[in-house]
Amino acid sequence: MSPNNICTNITNKLNTGILIIDNQYNIVLWNQYLEIHANKKPESVIGKNIFEIFGELPERWFKRKVESVFQLKTQSFCSWEQRHHLFELPHTRPITTNSHFMAQNCTFLPIETDDGKEHVCILIEDVTDVCHYQTMLKKTLEDLAQANRIDGLTQIFNRKHWEECLEKEFSRARRYQHGLALIMFDLDHFKLLNDTYGHLGGDLVLIETAKTITKLLRLGDLFGRYGGEEFAIILPNTDKIGALDVAERIRLAISKNVINFQDRDIQVTASVGVAVINENDSRYEDLISNTDLALYDAKGSGRNIVCVAEELLEI
Amino acid sequence: MSFSVLVCDDSNMARKQVLRSLPEQLSSTAQLATNGQEAVDLLRSQDIDILFLDLTMPVLDGLGVLQTLKDENITPAIFVISADVQPEMQNKVLELGAKAFLRKPVQLDVLNNNLQNHGFI
Amino acid sequence: MSDLNLNEDQQDCLQEIINVAMGQASDQLARFLDTFVYLKVPSIEQVSTISLIDTLNSSENSAAVVSQGFFGYEGIRGEALLMYKPKDSHRLADLLGYEPDELSVDEQIIDLSSILTTTFLNVFAKQIDNQMSYSAPRLLAGSQSAISDHLAQQSFSWDLALKVKITYQVTDYSFNCDMVLLIPESAINNIKAVIDRILEEF
Repeated sequence: MSPNNICTNITNKLNTGILIIDNQYNIVLWNQYLEIHANKKPESVIGKNIFEIFGELPERWFKRKVESVFQLKTQSFCSWEQRHHLFELPHTRPITTNSHFMAQNCTFLPIETDDGKEHVCILIEDVTDVCHYQTMLKKTLEDLAQANRIDGLTQIFNRKHWEECLEKEFSRARRYQHGLALIMFDLDHFKLLNDTYGHLGGDLVLIETAKTITKLLRLGDLFGRYGGEEFAIILPNTDKIGALDVAERIRLAISKNVINFQDRDIQVTASVGVAVINENDSRYEDLISNTDLALYDAKGSGRNIVCVAEELLEI
Repeated sequence: MSFSVLVCDDSNMARKQVLRSLPEQLSSTAQLATNGQEAVDLLRSQDIDILFLDLTMPVLDGLGVLQTLKDENITPAIFVISADVQPEMQNKVLELGAKAFLRKPVQLDVLNNNLQNHGFI
Repeated sequence: MSDLNLNEDQQDCLQEIINVAMGQASDQLARFLDTFVYLKVPSIEQVSTISLIDTLNSSENSAAVVSQGFFGYEGIRGEALLMYKPKDSHRLADLLGYEPDELSVDEQIIDLSSILTTTFLNVFAKQIDNQMSYSAPRLLAGSQSAISDHLAQQSFSWDLALKVKITYQVTDYSFNCDMVLLIPESAINNIKAVIDRILEEF
């Protein structure tokens, strides 16, 4: 078999599409792979304009891309990660994916034909599998990351992530001179509750409390579980008045909430501490300390009450 | 007839490339400069007939040399030999008084044709 | 990690080859972008693995890193990392000749990086009587760990990192990028052999 025949044989058995266009964007050659996948006969394709045959191609972008190959005489690429596909060819994978069409990696190569004319060869590779599995992997990793941020029981942020959020919000508030408030509340007599109703009861109270409070908060507020029965909320762009308002609503909502557990009604109250960022706070931990002190005050003042940290007076 | 030549380029290899492309009577007495300032100092103190000048050099670059020579009315025949071949750069260089712009890597026949055209060989 | 261990002549030769490659690539780029490209002498330095990872890690979210594999004859091959901080990334599309919404920011960075890398390496290859092929360019995820991971998972163990600092200033738009060529030991020896061959001609 002559080298020519061997090459022709190979190009037609290849599992990659080969499409050659001239500088007028007319199709000069294509291989069997494309004939099969595009389901068109060579007679109706060879010599025709590529945009006529593949109307789905973004013409302006495509021309600019191909131009760069002609002018710079260098390869160019288009990966599925930037554009899922260029040519609408149905995929044949035995898996269900998000698209009917095959995901493609395309390579554009400058080539010169025997008569010295410049052409561009487009290689079309089916990467549907890669696309599918990579997308799944990404989703799994995202789920994993999410799991690492969430407290399993209450489904709000866990302490670690919540503190990371506070760190960010704190430096943002400092940089842009915004307000920032912190609310920390602690369920009163929680140990007694656990002893009375068992841990399952205690757990339910925590879950229900988290749900109730979440409904009261704005989109930008960050709600996390700080300790066993201790919760904390970051309120960006909030001043003392705003924070006190939210804190009181929280206190009220908890005290009014009736939680049904094994045919019994459980009611609970919370002590709430509030603090706002002030100039003396150099790190986010200072803000936590202040809020904590306010919370301690609340406990000491009879519980089921809101207390706010007062700013230090300059003497 | 012999002309005095100065080759100015920060690259040793580039200087050699120019020298080996020159006819013997010019290369044997040619002087070398490794940056624009050295070249200007030399040109101020001696009569140099032909200057081969690179553009991208430290201390004082090619354009700087051209400007200085123009300002001080020092007029060797200047042939710029550079890797920076953009049309705008070529125009700039000719405007500043260079006789021709040659692209790197310099080729023997191109160099000699240019020398011939300007009457040096 | 081995040293390139070039003597003065070899160093000079390599610098000159890179200068010429940069000059011609800039010219091609300028014509394609229909603008003027201001070129500075590219500085070349060898960097150790540690300092490379440090460099990659130190730049924050502002940097994009595009990686592209290259391979030529005589075992000259490696990976080009283009580290680059677009100051006005929304103008890149315009620079490349596209409408702003025609392609995503990622695609713009990848396209530009690929053009820079391949035009430079093509001219470089031509000077050493070689020819380059390339793998598809990939944008490395912005996070530091992704980049260190990428370096750790190289398909070849690279021994040398040659950092070529390119400063491209396009008429009304300026950006800097560093191109780092990661080259395995076998390729280093081949490059040295080529340089010596060129020097012999003198």
